[in-house]
Amino acid sequence: MKKPKAWLRPVAALLAGFLFFLPIYLVLVNVFKDGSAIVSNPVGLPIPPTLDNIQGVLSRPDHLFWYGLVNSTEVTVISILIVTAISAMLGHYLARSTGVMAKVAMVTLLCGLMVPPAVILSPITEVLRALGLMSTVPGLILAYVGYYMPFGVFVFAGFVKTIPREVEEAAAIDGAGAFRAFWQVVFPLMRPASASVLIFLGVWIWNDFLNPLIILGPATGTTVTVGIYRAIGEHQADFGSVFALMFLATLPILVFYLAFQKQFVKGLTGGATKG
Amino acid sequence: MLVPIGITIGYSFTNKNPFNPPTKWVGLDNLTSLASDDEFLTALGNTVLITVIVTVVTNAGGLAIAMLLDRRGWLYNALRSVFFVPVVLSAVVVSVIWQAILVDDGLLNSMLGKLGMSDPPGWLSDPSLALYTVSWVIAWQGLGFCVVIYLAGLQGIPQELHEAAAIDGCGPMMRFRHVTWPMLAPAVTINTVMSLIGGFKAYDQVQVLTNGGPGPGTTSTLAFQVIQTAFNGNHVGYASAMAVAMLALVAAVSVIALGLLQKREVSS
Repeated sequence: MKKPKAWLRPVAALLAGFLFFLPIYLVLVNVFKDGSAIVSNPVGLPIPPTLDNIQGVLSRPDHLFWYGLVNSTEVTVISILIVTAISAMLGHYLARSTGVMAKVAMVTLLCGLMVPPAVILSPITEVLRALGLMSTVPGLILAYVGYYMPFGVFVFAGFVKTIPREVEEAAAIDGAGAFRAFWQVVFPLMRPASASVLIFLGVWIWNDFLNPLIILGPATGTTVTVGIYRAIGEHQADFGSVFALMFLATLPILVFYLAFQKQFVKGLTGGATKG
Repeated sequence: MLVPIGITIGYSFTNKNPFNPPTKWVGLDNLTSLASDDEFLTALGNTVLITVIVTVVTNAGGLAIAMLLDRRGWLYNALRSVFFVPVVLSAVVVSVIWQAILVDDGLLNSMLGKLGMSDPPGWLSDPSLALYTVSWVIAWQGLGFCVVIYLAGLQGIPQELHEAAAIDGCGPMMRFRHVTWPMLAPAVTINTVMSLIGGFKAYDQVQVLTNGGPGPGTTSTLAFQVIQTAFNGNHVGYASAMAVAMLALVAAVSVIALGLLQKREVSS
């Protein structure tokens, strides 16, 4: 009874995927077309392809793309490493300790998971200004470390429970101090959790817009996302160069995603299926 | 993390404005004036509408597509990746793509023009349409997340349950109603709560697509209003009161939704 309709599912799936992907397709083909071709035939394939748009972005006199790339990379890499290191220790400690204070700290951190960035941005700028870190890259990194710490702790604390306590006791008997036992024994065992935290935060921080827009401000330069926002103000109708900028800005994160795709989806669905 | 929230709550009782000192304690005045502030109430209404649309579209669409893709094979794996791509893109990038498509002389309208439509809609410039357009863009980006979660949920349902139901005489609709839907409860919970939280903090898309317009605040959201008031209007105290209201709302809605949905999980 199913046989006659067997072709329906792949066709419907392909059609849905095609419609869904159309906007991204439009960007991809128009990156490689010149301005007049975009206007006259936005949907067609770029024949012959041109690299003018990409070269134009790479050789902009104000180096918008390169500055953005350097800032984004710096902020993302340093933030995710700090958050992973601290939240791994904190998550481990909070999950293992049974005191009331630890419980309170845990619940407080978890509440932080659902605070929208807009709610606390204004006080963050004041704290950073008081520290002399406003409009600086370290200031932005500090803001991210604070904001994403709850997520890191949440992931690590959940994972610690799957590691038998005996492993740590054995390390202690073998003469390892608490610090060494953690970094040489426990941390390597938490690799899946570390991977989730690194991957998710990498994507979130790279893509973030509001925090760099406000905290870095126009003086210190931009990240790639803010760069794109600034660029659309400049060349309103010049889709070619805006698309090229977006293409280049997205390429690193897309490569990152494709490389870690399996782990990304695993981390995402881990909580969902366990319930 | 806690300190900024504390400061926000503290400021919400003041008339703080860095360009208009001194800062004074105004008690609950901020909160009471919020209740009669049209801009705030519009933003609140917009946020609720966006959140509802996004939650419904991503969940219904995500479940439909997940059921379509719930098969093995390279085609379905590839399509799953396709649907997930927007999730890893920046909201700014997604907004700029859609802006190029949806502006008045954009790609969509020029295509509609070629098809003979003389007066295509102003997707982003028509005040009665812009909010729905913004919601659509947010939903498009979030759809892949729901697809992946629902797919994982679907693949976690033992085949035996479907077979048993089929033997008992259940047709496809009945099987969905009595097997698939209850078994998906945890996935529904996660997707709904994530969509709710995502909808409530909508900011990037608004700033890029419409900047709150067209016209005064037709697409402004709570997050957008808070940032505008704090950083462009410099009314930090008042913005903090808004932020506190927003925080309370997000917390209340998430907790209620979580409670209701998890109850369903247990009973099913």
